Amino acid sequence: MSLRFQRLLDVITRVRGVQGAMLVAGEDGLVVAESLMEGVRGNAVAALAASLTKRFGRAAEAGGLGPVSFLHLQATDGALLVVPAPEGMVLVVVADADVNVGLARLEMRRAVEEVA
Amino acid sequence: MKLTRAVEPWVLEPLERFVLEAGARLTLVMTPSGQVLAQHGFTRAVDVMAAAALGAGIVASTAEIARMMDESTFHALNHQGRRHGIFLGACDTGRGRLLVLVVYAAESSSVGLVQLFFEELAVALAAAAPAPAEQPPVLAADFERDLNESLATLFRP
Amino acid sequence: MADEVKRLTAELARNPGSLVFLALGETLRARGQLDAAARIALTGLERHPHLADAHDLYARVLADAGDVEQARDEWGMALRFDPKHIGALKGLGFVHFHAGDFDQALEHLETALAADPLDQTVVQALQTVRAAAEIAEAEAAAAAAETEDAVEGIADVFAGLEGARQGLLLVDLRGRLLGGGMRDGTDRDVAEPVAAYLAGASQEAERTARLLELGTWSWIVAEGTEGSMHVSQPSDATLLLVRRDRSVPSGRLAVFAEHATAVARAWLEEQQG
Repeated sequence: MSLRFQRLLDVITRVRGVQGAMLVAGEDGLVVAESLMEGVRGNAVAALAASLTKRFGRAAEAGGLGPVSFLHLQATDGALLVVPAPEGMVLVVVADADVNVGLARLEMRRAVEEVA
Repeated sequence: MKLTRAVEPWVLEPLERFVLEAGARLTLVMTPSGQVLAQHGFTRAVDVMAAAALGAGIVASTAEIARMMDESTFHALNHQGRRHGIFLGACDTGRGRLLVLVVYAAESSSVGLVQLFFEELAVALAAAAPAPAEQPPVLAADFERDLNESLATLFRP
Repeated sequence: MADEVKRLTAELARNPGSLVFLALGETLRARGQLDAAARIALTGLERHPHLADAHDLYARVLADAGDVEQARDEWGMALRFDPKHIGALKGLGFVHFHAGDFDQALEHLETALAADPLDQTVVQALQTVRAAAEIAEAEAAAAAAETEDAVEGIADVFAGLEGARQGLLLVDLRGRLLGGGMRDGTDRDVAEPVAAYLAGASQEAERTARLLELGTWSWIVAEGTEGSMHVSQPSDATLLLVRRDRSVPSGRLAVFAEHATAVARAWLEEQQG
């Protein structure tokens, strides 16, 4: 795995409440790079996050919202955050339910700029 | 119209769950020799026979490449087209090694989703498979009769 | 004609690989013996899988049996092997005409006419489709005048709320509209396509939350370059979408969405009496 990607993902995982960060191939739902805590199923996160992003991406385009720039699934015990990355990838973060979304999002956007 | 059918009933429930979760358009569960145990989405027997034969052939030739590389058999293959993908996976059950051929649409599924739920399918098939029974030698006449009976079951209205 | 069937059957038996199955299949189809015609067509297809005429024959049998979807697939297959196959072009013209897609019907029939300008059945079919298209256009214009009244009724769920007709949508899990309306930045009505794409969204969100052990999903926000969408589930069988443009901060969107969810729940409870 690229050290550069690893470094970028590690910075995101330092945000309190973040359990893992991954770069995922958006079309295929396959892992490109990951930095995950023990117990987080990387291949499941990759496949499901990519699928969710595709579905909401189509709905957003149909609704005239333009391409999705940020996706946030909030659940009772956790959250999933997604930001598009270059080359058809998406940057995915799995976090606790009360994660500081603003901070996580900021780090995700910084990471994506560095990936480009 | 029911699109999922099984010659061996224990395959049906795991297959139905897999098709729903992975969003597969077409699926075959078969032995490495191409004998079909269950199918989803096919409407013609001729297509099932062709797909089973070709799928088994792809796996056999890939196994040969693996052997040349001193590699144990590959567990999965994926071919990605513009609008569709084809996934071939292998799993071990009490019934023996089984192959699963999946055709999925890129728009509604992905190789990641198919792989994710294939892992669950493999576990479910292994759990549901009956204990291995003594297999009598296969005669040509028996084979043709069994094939015709299987096709009749797979396409029963 | 029974003699003809016998003759063709005997000829096919003598030479199973010949193309006489086409004539036999067509004769059986014309006699209404569709099961027999289908068996002959399928057997012929096994020997001649790339023959456009064989796919055309099977398609006509399927169409006669009422399986228009499969007939369309077979005619599509025939065109892949012979893009100018008159039978397949006419068949697809027929399929699209009956589905109300007059543009597609005309496209196929005009291609057929270009391939064979002397085929009078194609000329007649074109006249029929063009006449039907004109009537449909007149009816659509009349229906558009009634649409405002229909929208008025559907928007009542969120009456009084900001964006009731262009930024709030209540749908069932199959993507059918229950209330509200949605328009994009150019004031185009996008309620139906958005509802259609989000059908199944709640199952996908539920599956994601469950398999990743995130608990029960509460809501999803999708931010685009032109605006944001908040999706929640007021009840087990419905989805609520709130759309706002970029000028609305995400926190405010969340507060508004919570209020709209309460309104939707109250309306749903009312409907259940």
